[in-house]
Amino acid sequence: MHRRNSLMLLVLAFTLIVSVLPATAQSPVEVTLWHMEQPPHRVERIQMLMDEFNAANPDIIVSQEPQNWGEIYTKAPAAVAAGNAPEMLFAIPDFTPILKDLGQLQNVADFISTLDEAHSFYPAAVAPYSYDEGVWAVPLYNMVQSLWFRNSVFEEAGITPPTTWEEWLAAAEALTTDGQYGIGVPANRQLYTDQTIYNLMINAGADEIYNSDGTLRFSNDATVAAYDFYSQLYQFSPPDSPNWTWGEAEACFANRTCAMIMQFTVITTYDTQAEGDPEDLGVVAIPAPADAENPGAISYANGVMFLTDDPAKLEASQRFIAWLMEPENYGRFLNMEPGLFLPVTEDGAEAESFWNDPLVVKYRSQVETMVANSASGRLFGFTNGNTFPSISAISAQNLLAQTLQLIVIDGTAAADAVAEGQSLMEEAISG
Amino acid sequence: MSLVVRRTLLAVAVVLLMFLVVAPFYWIFISSVKLPPEIIASTPTLFPQSFTTQHYDNLLGGSPFLPYLGNSLVVALGTMIITVILSTLAAYGLYRLRFPGRRLLFRVILITYAFPGVLLLIPLYGLLSDVGMIDTLWALIVVDVTLAAPFATWMLQAFFRTIPMELEEAAALDGATRLGVIVRILLPLAAPGVASIAIFAFITSWTEYMFASVLIISDANRTLPVGLAGIIGQYQIDWGLLMAGATMTTLPVLLLFALVGRNFVEGLTAGAVK
Repeated sequence: MHRRNSLMLLVLAFTLIVSVLPATAQSPVEVTLWHMEQPPHRVERIQMLMDEFNAANPDIIVSQEPQNWGEIYTKAPAAVAAGNAPEMLFAIPDFTPILKDLGQLQNVADFISTLDEAHSFYPAAVAPYSYDEGVWAVPLYNMVQSLWFRNSVFEEAGITPPTTWEEWLAAAEALTTDGQYGIGVPANRQLYTDQTIYNLMINAGADEIYNSDGTLRFSNDATVAAYDFYSQLYQFSPPDSPNWTWGEAEACFANRTCAMIMQFTVITTYDTQAEGDPEDLGVVAIPAPADAENPGAISYANGVMFLTDDPAKLEASQRFIAWLMEPENYGRFLNMEPGLFLPVTEDGAEAESFWNDPLVVKYRSQVETMVANSASGRLFGFTNGNTFPSISAISAQNLLAQTLQLIVIDGTAAADAVAEGQSLMEEAISG
Repeated sequence: MSLVVRRTLLAVAVVLLMFLVVAPFYWIFISSVKLPPEIIASTPTLFPQSFTTQHYDNLLGGSPFLPYLGNSLVVALGTMIITVILSTLAAYGLYRLRFPGRRLLFRVILITYAFPGVLLLIPLYGLLSDVGMIDTLWALIVVDVTLAAPFATWMLQAFFRTIPMELEEAAALDGATRLGVIVRILLPLAAPGVASIAIFAFITSWTEYMFASVLIISDANRTLPVGLAGIIGQYQIDWGLLMAGATMTTLPVLLLFALVGRNFVEGLTAGAVK
């Protein structure tokens, strides 16, 4: 009897072990995130969050591979073609059409709806990814340009921060003194110049690059007005500004050579390389013509694309992103670069985890202004649903900036330059 | 023109040349030890008014610079060794051996330079992916050798031409094999040429950016040019970190010049005395 009981116990134990084995032996789902936030402190912050997620979700392993914006436009399509693309890839709006054309991109409309119910996305953040009856990336963080200055410099000159183009030009002129340029605006054939000229195009009423049928509407009076005004501001900019990218503009502001600049943020540079006085650092929305109907500024709602159609990997990836968007995690994610990355959700904008970073605490009023400005952000080629894959060709060749160079470097009249700019764009998208 | 005037002019020319060569290195180095406000000051300072090692601390302690450096060294040294071996044998074969199509092959070898590298990028990615070499340092070594070896071969055969055939014949009479002739006769006499192609291959690989940026996926396998570009950031540039990185990146190249350059000079003077 005793022997029989022992045997039954053994059989029972074996059955239990066998029934449990498949569950324990099942290996976790591994997913990889490629992102372009390469500076070490950002990589470290993302890793910290991934470690927390992996610890709380033993059935998933999320890892990161930082990449470079300079090469990702070549590298990602090559990786997709070779079958070794990551499951998740960070994006800006003009990157998604390239991946979508390759047929690998997952429509995340349903996932966005779920997240929206929980966190309420700002519509301006989702809009650039919504076209062709789908949503092609989940917005994660926003960046918007504003006008930066020092309050003390304005007070000394007896002027107030500008809100209209007229005031802006007058301020640039008044602030141009010995050793100081009224404003620093770039004229490089580079993305920074695309961004700064587009700020003016938005406020001139020329934010639409395309008509609804996909034809270009770049060459119009409003665009000409924007370029013409930019060339007037450019007179008060340092002579080396045709070579500038973002870093040079920030240095010009930090060392007090430029009284004003248009930039996503100057907070870190101002805090570490200049005075670091939050009372003196001024920021306002990009000035607009007095009769502007819908002013705003260029903004980049950075998002994440899903490149896998494997249900398990897709589910694991979405669980990670959903976890990241939770208010207690989201602020820490945004503050991988405090004062640069802004929330794209309503509850994210109120998250304690966002507002309690020491740098955000110190520059709270400036960050609040940036968040407010982001609500009216726009991006060329991604407005009102008039989005076409050919925008990638226009963006990649920096044709907005090239058009500006025709004016400020070659001396072409604004109307002629804009007409030529449209020709260049038509040529680019026809190829 | 008197000797004094000639020597003075020569000295001025040398000083001017030295200034042009050394000034950028000096500027990069002094900027790497300045405090951030002094680096971006509107009036640049020729001599640092402040001193800090914070940029080096950040570079070595707060960034993956050292792994990048290690990867670059492996790739550059691997490229250098393989290029020297392949180019030496190829140059000898093209110069000494007689076979049909030799002249055509010699001319065709440089055609590889007629193709812009970017055109090869996508096909090469697919090819290396098929053989499982994406994200490996070997992939970079293979690519860098293909970039350096054709020109190195072409350059080395010019050195081989200056070595009299009689020396090889004498060695052969003494029983040396063909490989023995290359190793014991040709290579020592062509030392300046070998040093030159070694330096060329090392620098070609050390500074290669495009293929390294696309063929390498993981941070662990990244080389210096690509890694450094990432450390610095896009929207916000840490100028001190950039300058410290640039200074540290030039050190291995300077070290190589110090080592191989001496052999280069020795080879030249030995030839002159003979």
